[in-house]
Amino acid sequence: MRNKNISAAIVLIIFGIFYGFLTANLPDRSLPNTPSPAFFPWIITGVILVLSVWLLVRGLRQPKAESEPIDMAKLRLAATAMVFFLLYLVIMPVLGFVLATLPFFAAMMVLYGEKRPIWIGSGAVGVTAVLYIVFRHGFGVFLPQGLLRGIIT
Amino acid sequence: MNPDILSGLGQSTALLPLLSTCIGVLAGLIVGMIPGLTISTGIIVVLPVTFVLPPDISIALLLGLYVGGMTGGSFSAVLLNIPGTPSASATGIDGFPLSSRGEAGRALGVAITASFVGGLFSFVCLLLIAPLLAEIALEFRSEDMFSLVFFGLTIICSFAARSLVKGLLSGALGLALVTIGQDPVMGTQRFTFGEANLMAGVSFLTALIGLFAIPQIIDNLLNKDRVKFAQTKVRSVFPKLRDLIAIRIPVFIGSLTGAFLGILPGAGGPIAAFISYDYSRKASKEPEQFGKGSVEGVAAPESANNAVTGGALIPMMTLGIPGDPVTAILIGALIVHGLAPGPLLFLERGDFAYSMIFSFFWANIFNFIIAILGVRFLVKLVAAPRALLMPTVAVLCVVGSYALRNNFFDVYIMLFFGCLGLAMRWLDMPVVPMLLALVLGRQLEENLRVALVASQGDVSVFFTSPISLTFLCLSALSIVWSLKTAGKQNQSNPKEPKS
Repeated sequence: MRNKNISAAIVLIIFGIFYGFLTANLPDRSLPNTPSPAFFPWIITGVILVLSVWLLVRGLRQPKAESEPIDMAKLRLAATAMVFFLLYLVIMPVLGFVLATLPFFAAMMVLYGEKRPIWIGSGAVGVTAVLYIVFRHGFGVFLPQGLLRGIIT
Repeated sequence: MNPDILSGLGQSTALLPLLSTCIGVLAGLIVGMIPGLTISTGIIVVLPVTFVLPPDISIALLLGLYVGGMTGGSFSAVLLNIPGTPSASATGIDGFPLSSRGEAGRALGVAITASFVGGLFSFVCLLLIAPLLAEIALEFRSEDMFSLVFFGLTIICSFAARSLVKGLLSGALGLALVTIGQDPVMGTQRFTFGEANLMAGVSFLTALIGLFAIPQIIDNLLNKDRVKFAQTKVRSVFPKLRDLIAIRIPVFIGSLTGAFLGILPGAGGPIAAFISYDYSRKASKEPEQFGKGSVEGVAAPESANNAVTGGALIPMMTLGIPGDPVTAILIGALIVHGLAPGPLLFLERGDFAYSMIFSFFWANIFNFIIAILGVRFLVKLVAAPRALLMPTVAVLCVVGSYALRNNFFDVYIMLFFGCLGLAMRWLDMPVVPMLLALVLGRQLEENLRVALVASQGDVSVFFTSPISLTFLCLSALSIVWSLKTAGKQNQSNPKEPKS
């Protein structure tokens, strides 16, 4: 917990300084005796910096404990899922909703422990098709069609 | 009689809103009972659907889900001793022992009945108190509204019980994110980095999907083997007369406590459930039975957590202040439809405000009917396959954030907030304060600046207005109470100082 608090405090102090720097560069368009657009961000900057320093001091005052072991298997699993998510979002504008969702869904099912290929295949195809039809035709949401433009409606 | 009441009753009793309420209740019961899915996640999943539906139908759906979710949470608490929602935590204390000795049906029947009474009681409170409060709130000026919103933000302290400083930091970060886009008074672009998609600011709902759903998807992935499901046979769930007589006092205590605590921002279902459980034990003729399978111990928290729902809708509808995360999401859903919750909702769209109140009533009716008739079939879904459920939630997160504006930029924003939510979880930083700041931040800044403009920069205006002063005093009390609570926790656990 000590290391987490110190890490969080340092990151937030850096963020507070960066936010303050951006606030200082905001255009000044205030009227006489009225707060400018930078007024509220300055308050937030102050609050973030004060609280971050408070967290840092608390963290430094905490006794040094043996660092908690990081479960690398879990970390890998979480990282893999997030990479899948990112890839899904990157390929969707190109491939379209249907072609991007099929492999993403199947990959996520495998991550969640599903091993039966028929279940994975039918789950991915079924859910993708149902979601596309419901949102595209039921609710009129223009989901990206990508490579299938002109093939599916 | 106020014509808006009749109009609202008519709107809520039309076929489509009723059907929508039914579907919402069913979805809520399912979402509520599946451990690992919260009501917030359930609402996020159906959000994209609500964007395209008319407001009365979409709000009926969300209210149904809210009410159903509260009851559904008790099913897994009774059957597995794993509360489906945090509000059902107290239900398992007596529900699970009852279930363990083969009386699962009896426990579920009592839970459903108590939920029904609690929900109806809070509906009456909502119907009677909300219009009066809205009328009073119409008199509020910008300095009063600032102090009110500030008081609403002190809820952050109660959601930051484990670490006050981290909760406050989470709220401050939320306020910083709210300042992205045009400033609310002069329209100056702030922190947009020239990105046109950020000119309107960060969409609250997009942020919400990322903050809540993505960490939950990952959490379920990492703990996929945590829950071992055991099928429990559920027999008759219709409560017997002797049980109904036995639970009358706990249900009364629970309903009263729940509705009152629901109105107070930040108290929420779990606190109401535990307080009413404690009061009911003290008032019981057989307090020694509590914890061993007492129907009174099931009824008290269940009536309380359902009574919270109507109570939480009162400040949400009349003042625009969310009482819990779910009502914060409901505010976002209303804003999407161009309906700003607050006193003007009753003045300008009184018919809609009352249709919301009556949809809440129907949600409680359907919740009772569907739960009592369908519980024997619904409990089989407690063991729904995660491998199919969670990837579906993941895809719906993407669809939901995209459907808001048909803009893929929002999907990337959702992923950013997802990563932020994961980082915050790793750092033990609560996300609810950030959510509340995202909902209330803009109002806070707008009212602060408008009040200062009107008073020519004189800050004493916040202390000379009696309403404003009252809310500022309440805020101070709320903060002092939280600091005191945090101090007590530090004393009880000196090895791990809570900040």
